Amino acid sequence: MTAIAARHTSTASAAPMERFVYDDSIVRKFLTATMVWGVVAFLAGLIIALELVAPRAAAWEVNGVRPFAWLAVIFETSWLNFGRLRPLHTNAAIFAFAGNGIFAAVYYSTQRLCKARMWSDTLGRLHFWGWQLIIVCAALTLPLGITSGKEYAELEWPIDLMIAVVWLGFFGVNFFQTLRHRRERHMYVALWFYIATIATVTVLHVGNSLAIPAGLFKSYSVYAGVQDAFMQWWYGHNAVAFFLTTPFLGLMYYFMPKAAERPVYSYRLSIIHFWSLVFIYIWAGPHHLHYTALPAWASSLGMLFSLMLWMPSWGGMINGLLTLRGAWNKVTTDPVLKFFVVGVTFYGMSTFEGPMLSIKSVNALSHYTDWTIAHVHGGALGWNGLLTFGMMYWLLPRIFQTKLYSTRLATTHFWLATVGILLYVIPIYVAGLTQGLMWRAFDQSGNLQYPDFVETVNALIPMYWVRVIGGTLYVGGSLLAAFNYFKTWQSRPAKYEEVVHEAPALSRTYVDPPPPPSRLSGVVGIGHKGDVWLQGAWHRVWERLPVKFTVWVVIAVLVASAFEIIPTFLIRSNVPSIASVKPYTPLELAGREIYIAEGCYTCHSQMIRPIWAETKRYGEYSKPGEFVYDHPFQWGSRRIGPDLAREGGKQSHDWHVRHMENPRQLVAQSIMPGYAHLLREKLDFEAIQRRVGVMAMLGVPYGEAVKPGRAAELARAQAAKIATELVTQGGYPDMADKKIIALVAYLQRLGTDLSKPDDWNPYEGFDGKKAADATASGATGGAGGN
Amino acid sequence: MRLSDIMSQMGLTVWPEAALVIFAGVFVLIVRRVLSRDRAAEMASAARLPLEDGTACEKETGR
Ligand code: HEC
Repeated sequence: MTAIAARHTSTASAAPMERFVYDDSIVRKFLTATMVWGVVAFLAGLIIALELVAPRAAAWEVNGVRPFAWLAVIFETSWLNFGRLRPLHTNAAIFAFAGNGIFAAVYYSTQRLCKARMWSDTLGRLHFWGWQLIIVCAALTLPLGITSGKEYAELEWPIDLMIAVVWLGFFGVNFFQTLRHRRERHMYVALWFYIATIATVTVLHVGNSLAIPAGLFKSYSVYAGVQDAFMQWWYGHNAVAFFLTTPFLGLMYYFMPKAAERPVYSYRLSIIHFWSLVFIYIWAGPHHLHYTALPAWASSLGMLFSLMLWMPSWGGMINGLLTLRGAWNKVTTDPVLKFFVVGVTFYGMSTFEGPMLSIKSVNALSHYTDWTIAHVHGGALGWNGLLTFGMMYWLLPRIFQTKLYSTRLATTHFWLATVGILLYVIPIYVAGLTQGLMWRAFDQSGNLQYPDFVETVNALIPMYWVRVIGGTLYVGGSLLAAFNYFKTWQSRPAKYEEVVHEAPALSRTYVDPPPPPSRLSGVVGIGHKGDVWLQGAWHRVWERLPVKFTVWVVIAVLVASAFEIIPTFLIRSNVPSIASVKPYTPLELAGREIYIAEGCYTCHSQMIRPIWAETKRYGEYSKPGEFVYDHPFQWGSRRIGPDLAREGGKQSHDWHVRHMENPRQLVAQSIMPGYAHLLREKLDFEAIQRRVGVMAMLGVPYGEAVKPGRAAELARAQAAKIATELVTQGGYPDMADKKIIALVAYLQRLGTDLSKPDDWNPYEGFDGKKAADATASGATGGAGGN
Repeated sequence: MRLSDIMSQMGLTVWPEAALVIFAGVFVLIVRRVLSRDRAAEMASAARLPLEDGTACEKETGR
């Protein structure tokens, strides 16, 4: 059956009419993927929430029985533990759930706003299947510990390449070609948000992921230490802006008016909202690194810009909510609007809180605590999650051309999700504040009130349990949605109706209205030109030319980024070098790789801030020059466990081995996973050579360790030395060829260079004379690598 | 002498502040343009775009 829905555009009524059909099958695909991956991402989140309470639950004893002892499986199985699954959870939530949701929104709304079918069905399908392949690769590699160790960009280089191709080559090309062939001259503001998303994410992804491969599954960031941290948070922060904010704002500005059946409250405000994000957000990245070894001017600038963001964000929220003017009664009956209203409110909350967290004094308390975790979940579950589900319930009857199976179930989902978010977020705020205050609490004699870190972990356990309940509600809600989705899909017609639309093509000879005349009298020509420019008609031209528009957005993003990044990279004084800081030995490098693969950075920071409570607890604060050989940096962002920047020499080898085997042998209340597998698995000594080679290529002065076979030789010698010391300390025998030895070597090195003489020799004690040559031929001087 | 030595001598730290001013300036111009009164009709018609895509759906409510 065919129906014709004709309409006319005012600008070009003379042109002949063209007929076209929208491609909704691609929307159905992406929406289904959103639903499926959503459940996966939330479940993974629930599991890692459980990981943090499970060790205590498993140890709980009644009458000599431990009813929950079986829970140990999640924190003692290598591929199930927190460090491995946390990246899986974040990647699934952001790139699989939110990502597919964005694509569904873009494919549905772009066609309608452009009055054109997507340019290429094939590219659409390649985009869909390519993206799902990427997700599957991520789901397979991350639990196996294949990771670059950079938060929110953990995927290894082959997958990174795939992302670039699918994002820009399939999605980007298809989108921009559709814009070029559109039949509506004005590009609605939602399209601007999509343009900014596609362009900026490309720049961010490529900029941050630059790495040198050292094998199929291993690569090293080309940046080190401070620079790597800077790039990482430039990326991380802007990924929040351009993956989790701008596309969702596009979604809001399209679907909210649709659901409310009235135009957006203020179109002008939406334009201002857009440009403020493009111009300001990109500058604010460094606020993630207050008090770290980043130069002060950079983080102050980040703070200023973060505060400036507050206004447009609230403007946007109010704009969204006021779109419902005169339709508030509908909110009581329509679950779609319920999801939107609460989702947009969470946007307002997150964007208020974000700038607040960027204020240095607030950040001093909140950073490394659960406060950040609460903040991001308000954003992810509230803003991204609820908006996506609202859109989904609005789309389901339309793309499956049937009734939504159950409005009641959808409403129940809404309540489960909302209560779930509150039960997640509130206790985690409390946890963040509690821990932050405990870390900095001093007693009357000026000593730390809670010197034992695990005490501050212990205080959080009740809050962690409430989070598990909140998370369960949210997952439960999404399962209801999946059921509703399935039932709606089941009642679809045997054959989808294809509505044929009509609109004239855009005329190629279109001319803009003439620019306004100059308002000045009696000045030279350039003055008139200037006045005409100041009146800003050029902005109208931008608004309808996708290529020009995109180019300007990209320029804005690149210029802002360049001004932030170049000085940090090139000004020597920003990273003063320290002569006693030397490259890791080959064995320590291998240990560092285990540290990265196990995701220790998801629980441990390596960055002591210059704050009294921290130097008192952990030792001398971290200096930028200490990280010049850290490809990638491992500063971390959350301290579920203590900072490890000065871990070297604090404990014996034996302590570390037993602690890693099962932390609860030594610290009864620990919630750290067990790593017994590291005591069993053999270290691949031969693989170290290649990695040392790549490091040397990146400018790390490895001297003669780059000679074929030499790295493995040095690593074996050092492993033998540590294994012997281990036995004399009363530790396990036969550890010399196990992974644990490399990890211990790395942990014992951490933060110790600072207190050594300038000419110390990292190979001392296990390689005699030969190592002294190595030092002389290059392993000296701390200025390389930047 | 390395590139970074040269860059260090150039006093680049004022650049971010200059760029900040330029960015703020362009932004103010855009805001001014967007808020100008003579575009009211254009804005109103643009705002209606999502509602004019001709997608009909009579059966949108369920139980
Ligand atoms: C789930 C979070 C978590 C993960 C993942 C984790 N840890 Fe821990 N870690 C902790 C907690 C909590 C403590 C404090 C209690 C304790 O000492 O066991 C701790 C303590 C430590 C300590 C003791 C510090 C000291 O001197 O007291 C070391 C060393 C350590 N972890 C190393 C690691 C390494 C290496 C990895 C990765 C293989 C790792 N941790 C992964 C949570 C974690």
